[in-house]
Amino acid sequence: MATEYVKFVDVTKCDGCRACMVACKNWNDLPAEPQDFLGSAQSHAKTTADTWNVLQYIEHENSKGNLDYLFRHSACFHCTDAACEKVCPENAISYTDFGTVVIDHEKCVGCGYCVNNCPFEVISLKEYVDKNGDKYRKANKCTMCTDRLEEGLQPACVTTCHTGAMEFGDKAAMIKKAEERVKQIKDRYPNAMVYNPQGVGGTHTVYVLAEKPSVYGLPENPKVPTSAVIWKDYAQPIGKMMIGATTMAVVGAFITNTIISKKKNGKNEDGGDSHE
Amino acid sequence: MKKSVVSKEYQNLQKDILTLQENWKESINPESIIPSLDKAAMSAGVPAAALTSINFDISLFIQWIEEIIALLTKNNPELESKLASVGTLLNEETAIRWIDEAFSFNNVYFASFAEEHGLEEWIPQFLAETALRPYLQLTAEKLQHEITHSVHGAGCPVCGEPARLAVLEDEGRKVMTCPRCLAHWDAKRIECAHCGNDDHKAIQFLTIEGDASSQIQVCEKCSGYIKVIDTRQYLSKPSAAMLDLNTIHLDFVAQEQGYQAVGEVKQTN
Repeated sequence: MATEYVKFVDVTKCDGCRACMVACKNWNDLPAEPQDFLGSAQSHAKTTADTWNVLQYIEHENSKGNLDYLFRHSACFHCTDAACEKVCPENAISYTDFGTVVIDHEKCVGCGYCVNNCPFEVISLKEYVDKNGDKYRKANKCTMCTDRLEEGLQPACVTTCHTGAMEFGDKAAMIKKAEERVKQIKDRYPNAMVYNPQGVGGTHTVYVLAEKPSVYGLPENPKVPTSAVIWKDYAQPIGKMMIGATTMAVVGAFITNTIISKKKNGKNEDGGDSHE
Repeated sequence: MKKSVVSKEYQNLQKDILTLQENWKESINPESIIPSLDKAAMSAGVPAAALTSINFDISLFIQWIEEIIALLTKNNPELESKLASVGTLLNEETAIRWIDEAFSFNNVYFASFAEEHGLEEWIPQFLAETALRPYLQLTAEKLQHEITHSVHGAGCPVCGEPARLAVLEDEGRKVMTCPRCLAHWDAKRIECAHCGNDDHKAIQFLTIEGDASSQIQVCEKCSGYIKVIDTRQYLSKPSAAMLDLNTIHLDFVAQEQGYQAVGEVKQTN
């Protein structure tokens, strides 16, 4: 197994420049998504299928009654125990050797279970149109630039960060760094903490947050939904068998129906209004 | 960068050689390197190593060459017969000569030595250069605090190797690095290392599609090039020697485009 890497985001060093958003669009060739003004400097409400990371801007009243202007680079957390992976009925979501969580578009059927079960709401469906004009959907999210990792390069967002708010490296080293940073900033941010939620087995994006997770709209203790565990570990294996049975029934019906319709349209077949 | 045009086998051999060199360097007595830096000479482009008195341990040098031969033979048993005679040829006098000639890149001497003794042409210089480098590297380590810049066209300020490799660090600082002695020095982002041209209109950058972290900086005035690698993007940072090897495709591209590792001085009337 390759080294397990972690993206360490120290929000207290971020100056909100949004270069990470641009670098992500650039590397992953994602189209721009023009937005109406949302009432703050934040460009998009949350991540979307074409915007894999969003810089959050939060005006927060701190314990002294002052306003803190908080920033957070938000993107997929790449959970160690990922709900999206659990619920995917097609096994389209998997873990890489780097610990990142990726979606295989060949397998994804666009059912949206991953979207509904992600505790951080970072996955979105994108609608595509095939050459016949038929619409289909696929799930999209940050890949942690797994294609770059495979080349020995760091994620695009990390390499572009000019304040050093993001680092990418060995998991243990990054977590240690995060813990030390929290000690350093406790005077300024008494609620500062390392956010590496264990309810999802820890994540491969570890934050130093200046405030409680809820201030950033993050769950205090995210968990893989029980329904997801039940689905993946118990229901799905049985479900696949059920699908097998119903498929046979459908196929059977189709054959029968074809025979029937052939009989019904027998005249047309002989009629020869084809252009051949 | 993981993908390289250099085969994994050759990369691994080079890694083994670098490990050997690192070990050898540790065994050199630091007192045997006595710099006497002449600022005037250095500002005229004389490499600092040429101004340094190095008391080479000749028996150690010969021992290292035997170790390289053992490594090469282990890696490729077919080389055994080709390298067997080197051990007998290498006496103290020859070793001293090898050190001197390797230091001054005298490939003519090594080619004729090879011919004279029926060796393949690459063998003498490869061995001499490989065994010389630990001394150069230790010299560079000792002098690094004195090395702030290079004289354009004079190559590495420590060992004189032609400048060809730069890495980007911190906020985009361009640091020239020498793959031979591992010395490093700062340079302006838009500046030719060979002729000093800093006209942004006459400096171009060639990039390779699919290679997100490398550039070739070419000078339209002297036709020289250097490789500029953004190692800040790398997951792990290789040594300058490995980086130089693994980016050899950039040298091919640059030279195919008509640029040279050493810029040429164009005479104008």
